[in-house]
Amino acid sequence: MDRPAFSNPSPAGPRGVRTRSTRRRGVAAALAAAGAISLALSGCGTSASPSAGPTAQAVDPASAKGASGSLSICGGRDSVGLYKGTVDAFMKANPGITAKYIVLGATTDDARTQAVQRLQAKSGECDLFLTDVTWTPEFASQGWLQDMTKVTDAVKGTLIPSTVATTQYKGKSWATPYYTNAGLLYYAKDKVAKPETWKQVYAEAAKAPGNGLVYQAKQYEGLTVNFLELLYSAGGDVIDGQGNVKIDSPETRKVLDFMASGVKNGSADRAVLTYEENSTRLAYESGKYGYERNWPNVYGQLNATPLKGTFGVAPLPSFDGSSKGSGVLGGWNLAISAFSSNPGAAVAFVNFESSPEWQKHVAMDYSQAPAGEAAYSDPEVLAKMPFAQELLVSVKGAKPRPVSPVYAQISEAINKNVHAVLAGDSSTEDAVKKMAEQIKAAQASF
Amino acid sequence: MTAIRALVPERSRSTRDRAERRLAARMTAPSLILMALVAAVPIGYAIWLSLNQYSLRQAGLSRFVGLGNYIDALAGPDWWRAFGQTFLFAACSVSLEMVLGTGMAMLLNLAFRGRAFLRTVVLVPYAIITVVSAITWQTMFDPTTGFVPQILAAFHLPGAGVVWLGEQGYALAVIVMADVWKTTPFAALIILAGLQAISQETYEAAELDGANRWETFLHVTLPLLRPAIVLAAIFRTLDALRIFDLPFVLTHGANGTQSMSMLAYGQLNENRLVGQGSALSILTFLTVMIVSAVYIRFGGGNIRDIAREDHR
Repeated sequence: MDRPAFSNPSPAGPRGVRTRSTRRRGVAAALAAAGAISLALSGCGTSASPSAGPTAQAVDPASAKGASGSLSICGGRDSVGLYKGTVDAFMKANPGITAKYIVLGATTDDARTQAVQRLQAKSGECDLFLTDVTWTPEFASQGWLQDMTKVTDAVKGTLIPSTVATTQYKGKSWATPYYTNAGLLYYAKDKVAKPETWKQVYAEAAKAPGNGLVYQAKQYEGLTVNFLELLYSAGGDVIDGQGNVKIDSPETRKVLDFMASGVKNGSADRAVLTYEENSTRLAYESGKYGYERNWPNVYGQLNATPLKGTFGVAPLPSFDGSSKGSGVLGGWNLAISAFSSNPGAAVAFVNFESSPEWQKHVAMDYSQAPAGEAAYSDPEVLAKMPFAQELLVSVKGAKPRPVSPVYAQISEAINKNVHAVLAGDSSTEDAVKKMAEQIKAAQASF
Repeated sequence: MTAIRALVPERSRSTRDRAERRLAARMTAPSLILMALVAAVPIGYAIWLSLNQYSLRQAGLSRFVGLGNYIDALAGPDWWRAFGQTFLFAACSVSLEMVLGTGMAMLLNLAFRGRAFLRTVVLVPYAIITVVSAITWQTMFDPTTGFVPQILAAFHLPGAGVVWLGEQGYALAVIVMADVWKTTPFAALIILAGLQAISQETYEAAELDGANRWETFLHVTLPLLRPAIVLAAIFRTLDALRIFDLPFVLTHGANGTQSMSMLAYGQLNENRLVGQGSALSILTFLTVMIVSAVYIRFGGGNIRDIAREDHR
């Protein structure tokens, strides 16, 4: 028998073996190919982009008058039907314009990748992009957006100032707010006291096993937000307006030590190290916790559980009473693509969605936090969203995340190091030094 | 074969060989060109990208930095940490898969009713999309709502009260378990094929020599199974070294579970550092290539024979 016994004919033997062994060589190559293709896709447009920077063409607000033709709005998954609803209502009010919503991807990251690819290729497919509040600097600095300062200025009297701030980069507005978001603290009224300060919340949470706090501390963007909420409340910051790194500060150390000891002494269950928004919600719904930090959309879901009526909603508290409570601003803006062939219709759409009437619908019909301030005290809204006033406090006090074209890397530097401290794998001192170092390195790569 | 060859005059044989070779070249050309387009060109482009630095501020600016990205990666702690964690994962999961896979293959090789059905059924975990199974494992190990922590606590077993996915070591253990659960059936099927190829006579000979079951397994079955096990180990190791989906879903790379592919993905897709990310991808690629070369060189002669068989 000169051939190996293994490859002798047998029902499953040789065929299986041969294809597998041919594939063996292909496996590595295919991996590299797949990687390389994704590289090629993300890199192909870069060679052609001009260094337009923030000196792009400005949109004329008057162009909205009598605008017609077709308009496409591109963004992430329409999870609550808000985008489609806005488009339909807009077309009813503007019969001359045919608008449609194009879904670019299921997650925020997917949507960003898809948007970037279109913009790098100077595609005119999308007139308007739904942009996350953190994308403005990156998109604007690449010359992908039209200067919307005049359009946004015309409506900004009715909008919450902090939402308008997320559209700005280098003194101009590159988008108009659509809807916003800010964290809230849900608390079990029968077990724990109403949140006043983070220190009080943590102390209260440590009192009994069923009082604990749950929040998002898995290593991802959500942890960056959860950490920044405490850091901002304690008066700390990541980078200042000039881009100087401010994170190596006593406030950062204080907050990190505070959060780490909270995990250690059980104020926050160690389980938070694995939690994202949804797992946080499910954990709280089990009834085993006293406090939950989450987004406004959780309200409706909580009301559908046996916990209905047992919980209160509060804006994010201050750190220890010496400074104001401050959250981190989320939400979405609408930005006009530099390659749009119908900016007039885009302006008409922006004017429509940012109007006080439509902002009311954003809250009433879709349970999202409106960017328009009047909606929060509207009786119809309050009937559907009883915590609107608490939400307004959170939104108004919220600060934007670090404004930088390399935000993604800054966020990674923060959540990796914070997670290591909370897990007990790194000292506060080490983590602070590393955060500052890595943020500086990220800025240098820009 | 040699007898026939001897009858054919030397000259015409070499002419025919050449003609055959030309024909072979012509017939394989289309697939070679296709392979070049879908594999070689992108790989070449990735290598080129890895030698450049891209700046986000001025899109289109690509500065040639030679091996700079590689030096950065190899000098920093991130690559080596991911390297170590990936190899630890691969070593744990592959060795478990081989042991369990061999056991599973032995069981499936027994004659019993419903064997064909069972052979299909064991493949179910392998057919489940990894991300889906990762989410399932995450749900199982959720500290508040998952059933694993509840069972551990109810029976006071070790690991009770531990936040599995939030702790060094434990997090890796969950990822290893999820991988073993999913891919052991695959290893078992390859090993089963090898098992079926062992001739019954060898067992009869062993029996005549008075070997008991354990001795037969140790001295007959296992040596003859070696090529199949090595082959299964190669596939599994190459897959394990490229692990991405399990840690991506379960921990996002925290708590000692950052893999090489995750590192490259982060630089490429999340940070859009095309040059650095490409360098990390190429390093991962090279690592996998070297490991497979080592396997083929030292894994056992039969593997090389099989590989050669393919070339014929």
